[in-house]
Amino acid sequence: MNDSLILGIDLGTTNSLAAVMRPGGPEIVRDADGAALIPSVIAFGDRKVTVGAEARAHAVENPTATVYSVKRLMGKSIADLTSDMDVLPYDVVPGRHDTVCVKVNGREMTPQELSAIILRDIKARAETATGQEISRAVITVPAYFDDAQRQATRDAGRIAGLEVCRIVNEPTAAALAYGLDRSENACIAVYDLGGGTFDVSILRVSGGVFEVLSTQGDTRLGGDDLDRELINLLTGEIRDEFGQGLTFPPATRQALRIFAEATKVRLSTESDATVEVDLGGGRVFRRTITRDEFESLATGWIDHTIEHCDRALRDAGLGPGDVDQVVMVGGSTRVPLVRRKTEEFFGRELYTAVNPDEVVALGAAVQAGILSGIKRDILLLDVTPLSLGIETLGGAVGKLIMRNSTVPCQATETFSTYVDSQTSVDINVLQGERELAKDCRLLGKFQLDGIPPMPAGAPRVQVTFLLDANGILNVSARELRSGKTASVQITPAHGLTRDEVDSMVQDSYAHAVEDLNAHRLIDLRNEAERILGAIEKSLQVTGRVLGDPQRRALDAAAGDLRAKMGRDDCDAIYEAMSAANEAAMPLTEAQMDDVLSKTIKGRKMDDV
Amino acid sequence: MTETHDQAAPVKCRHCDKPMSTPMVCDYCHTVSLDATVADYFTLLDLPRRFDLDGEEIHRKFLALSRHAHPDFHAGDTPEVQQLHLRVSAVLNDAYRTLSDPASRAAYLLMLFGGKGSVEDKSVPDGFLGTMMMMQEELADALDTDDRAEIARITEVLQTQHDGLIRRIGTLFEQYQESISCKAVVDDLLGELRQQLNAVSYVKKLLSQATSAEHAHE
Repeated sequence: MNDSLILGIDLGTTNSLAAVMRPGGPEIVRDADGAALIPSVIAFGDRKVTVGAEARAHAVENPTATVYSVKRLMGKSIADLTSDMDVLPYDVVPGRHDTVCVKVNGREMTPQELSAIILRDIKARAETATGQEISRAVITVPAYFDDAQRQATRDAGRIAGLEVCRIVNEPTAAALAYGLDRSENACIAVYDLGGGTFDVSILRVSGGVFEVLSTQGDTRLGGDDLDRELINLLTGEIRDEFGQGLTFPPATRQALRIFAEATKVRLSTESDATVEVDLGGGRVFRRTITRDEFESLATGWIDHTIEHCDRALRDAGLGPGDVDQVVMVGGSTRVPLVRRKTEEFFGRELYTAVNPDEVVALGAAVQAGILSGIKRDILLLDVTPLSLGIETLGGAVGKLIMRNSTVPCQATETFSTYVDSQTSVDINVLQGERELAKDCRLLGKFQLDGIPPMPAGAPRVQVTFLLDANGILNVSARELRSGKTASVQITPAHGLTRDEVDSMVQDSYAHAVEDLNAHRLIDLRNEAERILGAIEKSLQVTGRVLGDPQRRALDAAAGDLRAKMGRDDCDAIYEAMSAANEAAMPLTEAQMDDVLSKTIKGRKMDDV
Repeated sequence: MTETHDQAAPVKCRHCDKPMSTPMVCDYCHTVSLDATVADYFTLLDLPRRFDLDGEEIHRKFLALSRHAHPDFHAGDTPEVQQLHLRVSAVLNDAYRTLSDPASRAAYLLMLFGGKGSVEDKSVPDGFLGTMMMMQEELADALDTDDRAEIARITEVLQTQHDGLIRRIGTLFEQYQESISCKAVVDDLLGELRQQLNAVSYVKKLLSQATSAEHAHE
C-alpha cells in the first residue's frame, strides 16, 4: 500500500473520471479496455446497484430507478430545482434543512449519498487499475460552486470512504494540467462548459505559479440545457402531431433525453441529424434537425457564457486582448457554435489541444501531487467566486469578504447583544453579490453560545470568518471582554449537519464496500436477526419435538447464520438464512400444530 | 525619499533562533511563524513603509512568502501545523490584497501613520461633492434610459477622477515623508489624505454602480 497516493477525481454532471500523479506526470485511470470516462449514472436494480455505462444502458427500461445528473442537486433546495423537475424522470422530494432527496424504489437518498455511490465506484476502479488501496482524494467542483455545494461534495467523499484532501475548482485544475510543462509568463482564460455547469477563470501563469485573478460562472448552465432545448422542440412537435394531451411516460422521457444528447453530439460534425421516436401503438415520430436550427436554439445559452467571460475579464482588470491563451474544457466545448463565439469574443485562436474530457482530472492529479509532496515547485493561488457577508438590520448584507479574494482569507467582525444577560447571538451568513439578504444565498445560521451574561451591548464577540483553501467557510468566535471562546452552532441552509454526515459515513462503513447495494445487506441482517429470534422463541415453546440430529442441525444452521451475519456477503447471509429456516421447519410445523389445536380447543370451548 | 523601515529589534526564529528578515518565514529553516499574524502588512511582506511601491515588487515578495506559507505544502503535517499555515496564509493574502491596490494601501498607511479613520472623519475635498452629485444624476439618467454609450462615458470619467485622486494621494505621501518632523504640516497632510481617500471610496462606489448596472442587464 502506498500511503502517498491521492486520487484526483473529476466528479462530473455527465461523466466522471480519475487520474493519478506519476513521476512522469499525471495519468488518467483507465479500465482494461482503455476506457476512462464513467457516465455519472446510477441504476438501482432488484439485486444490484450499477454505476457507469452499464447503468446508462438500462436508463430507458428502468427510468424511475436510473439516476443521473446528481451534481445538479448538490447543495440545492426543492425551490432551486423547479425547472429541472419536469425533465428528470426520477422522483425528487424535499429533504431536511431545505435540501432535496431522490426517491428510488421507496427509499430516499441524499445527493451526497448518490454521489458517494459514484465516488465509491471510481475508487474501486482506480484501485483495480493501480493495484493500490486508495483512501485519499482531490475532488474537483465548478469554480462557481457555493459553500453548500462544496460541502456537499466533500461530504459525498467522506461517505464514500475517502478523505477529501482538497476541493479544487475545475478551471483551475485544467489550467494546472495545461501549464504544467510551460514556463513562459502568460495570461490564460479557461472556458469550461460541462454537462451541467459553466465556469470561466482568468489566470496569470508564470514559472510554476498559477494565480487565479477572477472567476465567473453559472452552476446551472451546461450541455444539459442544450439537450433540453432539443427535448422541448421534439415534445412540442410530437404533441402538435399526435395531440396536445399526449403525456410522456418516464421511459419515453429517458429515451428523448438520450436522443437529444445524441443529436447534439452528431450536429457537432454533421450538418443535420434525424431523430425517430417510437411512441407505441404504431405512432412513430420522425424529424430531421439541422445544425442551423440547433444553433438558433443554443445561441441564447452560449451568449450567456460570453457575458460571463466579459465579467471575469473586467473583474481581473483586463480586456479580451490581454489574454494570451484560451483553454477550452468540458465536453460541450465541442459544439462548433461555442467555439465560434468564444473565438470571436477573445479575438484569437482557441487552444483545443487538450482532451476537454480529461484535462480536469489530470489537473486534480497534479493538485494531489502537490498535496502529497511529489510536486513542490508549483504554487497555486485560487480565489473565492462569491462575496461572503452577514445579514444586518433591515435585511441588508454587510460584505466581509469580496469575491475573487485569494483563499485562504479571513475577516473578523464584532457582535454584541441587544438585551441584558443575553447569552447567545444568531448570525445569518450569506454568499452572493446582491445588496439584500433575500437575494443572496443563505449559507447557514450560526448561533454563538456561551456569551457571559452582561448588560445589553456590553459583550464584544469577535467572530472570525475563515475561508479555507477549499473555499469552505470555518467560523470561530471569542468574547473579547472575558476572553472566552464562544461556541458556534451551525445550521446549514442547504446541506447536512456534521452529525448527519457522520451517521452516513457510519452507514457506509456498515454497508459492504464491494457490494454497492448496501441497503440490501442491512435488510438481510435485520431479517436474519428476526429469524434467529424466532428460532430461539420456538425452541423454548416447542423444542421438545426435535430429535437429537434435528436439534444439532438447527444449532449448526443458526450458528452458521450468526457467523455469516458478521460478514458483508449478502448471498452467503441469504443462503444461511434459507438453511436456518429449513432446519427450523419441524419447530415451525409443531408450533402451527400447537396454535391450530389451541384454536380448535378454544372453539370447542366456545361451542360449549 | 527616506526609507521608513521598522527599526524594531530583529526578530528571531523560535525554531532555530536565527534572525529573521520578515516576521513570517525564517530565512534559514523556513519555519513559518505565528507572529506573522500580528505584524503590520509592510513588515510582513518585507517592504518599506511608504505609498510609492512597485506593484511587481509587492507581487514578487508575496509569491516568495506564499511558497512557504500556503497550506498546500503542509497537507501532510499535523492538524496544528496545518491550522497555523491556514491562518498565516489568510493574513498574507489579506496583506497582499491590501498593499497591492493603491487606494487600500494608502488607507492602510494612513492608519499606521495615526490618521483618522473613515468613520471619524467623513469630509471630502472642496467642490468634490458638487461634481459627484452631478455625475450621480447623469448616471441615474443613463441607467433609467439604458443608455449604454452614456454609461460607458461616465465610467471613463469616473476612472479618470479615480486615477487623479490616487496621483494626488501619492504626492501627499511624498510631502509627508519630507516634513515628518513638523507636526502641524503632518497633521494637515494626514487630514487631506483622509479627504482624498474618502473621495476615492465615493468614486469607487459610483463606478461599481455603473458596472453592476451593466451586468444587471445580462
